[in-house]
Amino acid sequence: MKNTLLTILFIFAAGHLCSYGLPWWAIAPVAAVPGWVFRQSPARSLLAGFAGGFLLWLTVALLADMANGGILSARIGALFMGAPTSGLALVTGILGGLLAGLGCLTGRWASDLVGQPAKAR
Amino acid sequence: MYSGLKPTKDWFFTFDSARQICSLTQSPPYLRSMHIVRFLFALTLTGLLIWQLQRPQQIGDKSLPPLGAFFNPFSGFWHNAEPADAPSRLPQTVRIPGLSDTVQVVFDDLMVPHVFAANLTDAVRVQGYLMAQFRLWQMDLMARKAAGRLSEILGERTLALDRQSRRRGMLVAAENNLKGWQQSPENVRLLDAYTAGVNAWIDQLTPAGYPLEFKLLNYQPEPWTPLKTALISENMAETLCSGEDDLEATNALAAFGRENFDLLYPQWMPGQQPIIPDTGQWANIHAQVPPGTLNSGPLNGLTGLDPIPSADRDMEGSNNWAVAGSKTRSGHPLLANDPHLNLTLPSIWFQVQLHLPQQNTYGVALPGIPGIIIGFNENIAWGITNVGHDVSDWYKITWTDNTRSVYLLDGKPTPVQWRIEEVGVKGQPSLRDSVRYTVWGPVVFDHQPGHPLRDCALRWITHDMPSPKTFNIFLSLDAGATYADYREGIAGFDCPAQNFVFASRSGDIAIQVQGKLPLREKEQGRFIQEGNQSANAWHGFIPQEQLPSMKNPARGFVFSANQHSTPPTYPYYYFSEGFDTYRGRRIFERLSLLRDATVDSMKTIQLDNFSPRSGDALPVVLGLLNRPALDREGAELANQIAAWDGRYEKDLLAPTLFEVWLDSLYRLTWDEMYALNEANTEVLMPASWRLTDLLRRDTANIFFDHPGTPKRETARDIVNESFRAMQHHFSTHPEAKKNWGQAKGFVLRHMALIDAFSRTDVLVGGHRNAPNAISKTHGPSWRMIVDLSSPVRAVGVYPGGQSGNPGSRFYDNMVAAWAGGEYFDLLLLENPAALPAQRKLAQQTFSAP
Repeated sequence: MKNTLLTILFIFAAGHLCSYGLPWWAIAPVAAVPGWVFRQSPARSLLAGFAGGFLLWLTVALLADMANGGILSARIGALFMGAPTSGLALVTGILGGLLAGLGCLTGRWASDLVGQPAKAR
Repeated sequence: MYSGLKPTKDWFFTFDSARQICSLTQSPPYLRSMHIVRFLFALTLTGLLIWQLQRPQQIGDKSLPPLGAFFNPFSGFWHNAEPADAPSRLPQTVRIPGLSDTVQVVFDDLMVPHVFAANLTDAVRVQGYLMAQFRLWQMDLMARKAAGRLSEILGERTLALDRQSRRRGMLVAAENNLKGWQQSPENVRLLDAYTAGVNAWIDQLTPAGYPLEFKLLNYQPEPWTPLKTALISENMAETLCSGEDDLEATNALAAFGRENFDLLYPQWMPGQQPIIPDTGQWANIHAQVPPGTLNSGPLNGLTGLDPIPSADRDMEGSNNWAVAGSKTRSGHPLLANDPHLNLTLPSIWFQVQLHLPQQNTYGVALPGIPGIIIGFNENIAWGITNVGHDVSDWYKITWTDNTRSVYLLDGKPTPVQWRIEEVGVKGQPSLRDSVRYTVWGPVVFDHQPGHPLRDCALRWITHDMPSPKTFNIFLSLDAGATYADYREGIAGFDCPAQNFVFASRSGDIAIQVQGKLPLREKEQGRFIQEGNQSANAWHGFIPQEQLPSMKNPARGFVFSANQHSTPPTYPYYYFSEGFDTYRGRRIFERLSLLRDATVDSMKTIQLDNFSPRSGDALPVVLGLLNRPALDREGAELANQIAAWDGRYEKDLLAPTLFEVWLDSLYRLTWDEMYALNEANTEVLMPASWRLTDLLRRDTANIFFDHPGTPKRETARDIVNESFRAMQHHFSTHPEAKKNWGQAKGFVLRHMALIDAFSRTDVLVGGHRNAPNAISKTHGPSWRMIVDLSSPVRAVGVYPGGQSGNPGSRFYDNMVAAWAGGEYFDLLLLENPAALPAQRKLAQQTFSAP
């Protein structure tokens, strides 16, 4: 459980720092790091990665939307077949989650390639 | 190899079990290779996801940007969601190479920048930076449109449009424009400064900072160049002086004969109020046009493709006027201007103040062009409307053979000049197009077999190299202080010809028709001309000192509304099929009656929804309507219309009914022309005042007769028939019975026609023939009123906002005020500290690195 939380926290913090000036997909390689370091079962790695990416992208999107008073999300929503702000935020979160989740899982399985794998917690 | 694993639905646990086995068995080689396989599997899956998310998506007919980059909250569209306190987050200090001194900018609560610079070059450099900061995408798009480069970003769907721009010679025109401007070293310096300012902003951009539309359309900003400024200027020229009806007039003359042609399409409307009345000032001018050299009968048998009746076209019109102190409460002049254009978001205009030691100017600028186009300073104010003379003619080319590469000119075979245009298309190889240039200009339509203008060349004033002054007249006006400065400032301005209205604090008012206007024989250029004789060319241009102008008339006002420049007694021939015949009359009446005028009385004229077209037509059509014969429903409609005063107010039903009635009346009367148009012979449509005039004076005119019926119809029959058609329309389409505001369906469209970034919820009154000339898509793009008291004060508003970012509250924050007829005070500050703290949103200091 501790590693799950650490993974989520790591992605949330590092993803936030790294996303400035890095390509949009940077969260995937970033999430590979806790996948490697904070060892847990691959399923947990995937889910924790997803949660970290989801929370990060969702939070940043929602904060931007709140500061903006929803002006832009209303317009972008109209562009995406009338999607409400919550829908846009959810899509944003899911995309971040998928990228981070798969990145984390890749890191997790990469760790098996070197050294002695320890027992999963 | 999985046979020994316990079966489970969850493949993770399958692999997990494998991993446990693996740890117990000291990693035998087969497990080792499984580690590689599953790692590669995850890696590939991640890669595939990234790859999929960076591809542009197509959903139905909608193109969507690559979703990954677009949704990334750090650099995608969310990044363009401007926080409410965004202004205060603007960088406080900015370095722009080349600045000679520090430039201070303060932003007021409408986000208008007030620029305080030590000299003009610095001011223009910072103006370039500010324009890019707020409107870069708009600048990019407009330059691309004029250059025929839209397809590079939008793909095949804009290819025809791009090709058309190229073939009309828009790029050639811009290149010539720039050459003309750059003849003056001062212009070169200012253009370079503006360009450097724009590029200073572009250079600091990261993809996250790109304006939203770049992300949406998935392309990157490119460096600004002086040519792009010239292209934007050409864009405006195309909007304002490309109108011509040569083919339509030629066909109409052939179809109806001379007598009918003169009856249907007279140039002069009796009762019209021209911009400059005849006060005997032209008595001694003898127009220097060599007579009898023109040898260009109209060409018969040309058939058109897209019938666009001219009466239905939205003309780009505008109003401006100045009222002398004798008619104002303050005893000082008042000046008003509202240029009508195709209204867009981001807005056409950008408000800015440019303060230099020797001048202090406020007004509106066009994104991409340095200086202030319409505005005022501490001493003078000026405004513009379009002159609208036809400066675009077609010449029929006589080819020597069907390769169309050599043509006859004065009996001599003359080779065409080829210009190769390469139009880039996104995702496709570029299109290489060869365009023939003759002595007249480009052969625009020779790539379309069957096009009626296939063998015609375009002579268009925009292609001419302008005088260097065309670039800096607005900069000179910005710095002007007196009537002499104004005259001197605008002299030599070429294209697009404008009516420059002027007022000064010292009490002068004036107006001048300014532009390069062809010297024509009577009717030269009204029809397609023979292009095989150089004698058929324009005979030069109307001399500068003989352009119509007027200063301090006894009547106490000057004005223009795109009507005739002069009465027919002006010694030079000019024409247009689109001169205004209504707004100008209404404005003339209103200004004539003015006493004790204030800024508020100017507002009521700008916002006047009365159209003299309805004023003229209502009594006539109601007089011809057989009201006793109407059924109850019809009588009700007639009552509604009869009770109406001709004002196009948004919450009235009568204007909606009347418009449908008049439209039907127009179509039924001119059914001969509609029939020709449908048969692909484009003919000129009569101006709408011709119909009212005939209804009033000649009810038995042959054009009221339907050619296909045994009966000989008269005006009375047609009026009643059209009323029944209107009644039928509303009984079969009850949903169309809406108040004028809804029926008009006004839209403030995004420049790339992205509906989500447009405003379709704005209800407004007005009519294109009323001073408040709001049609479905066109209208007052800037309303300004300047009171030239001491100190000068001014109000203004435009439908939009200072920011081009759809994610900013400054994108459309002035729309409601504009629609509601409200104005904002325009702040001509003495120094940056003069901006009251509660109205100050931000400040920026610019200096050289």
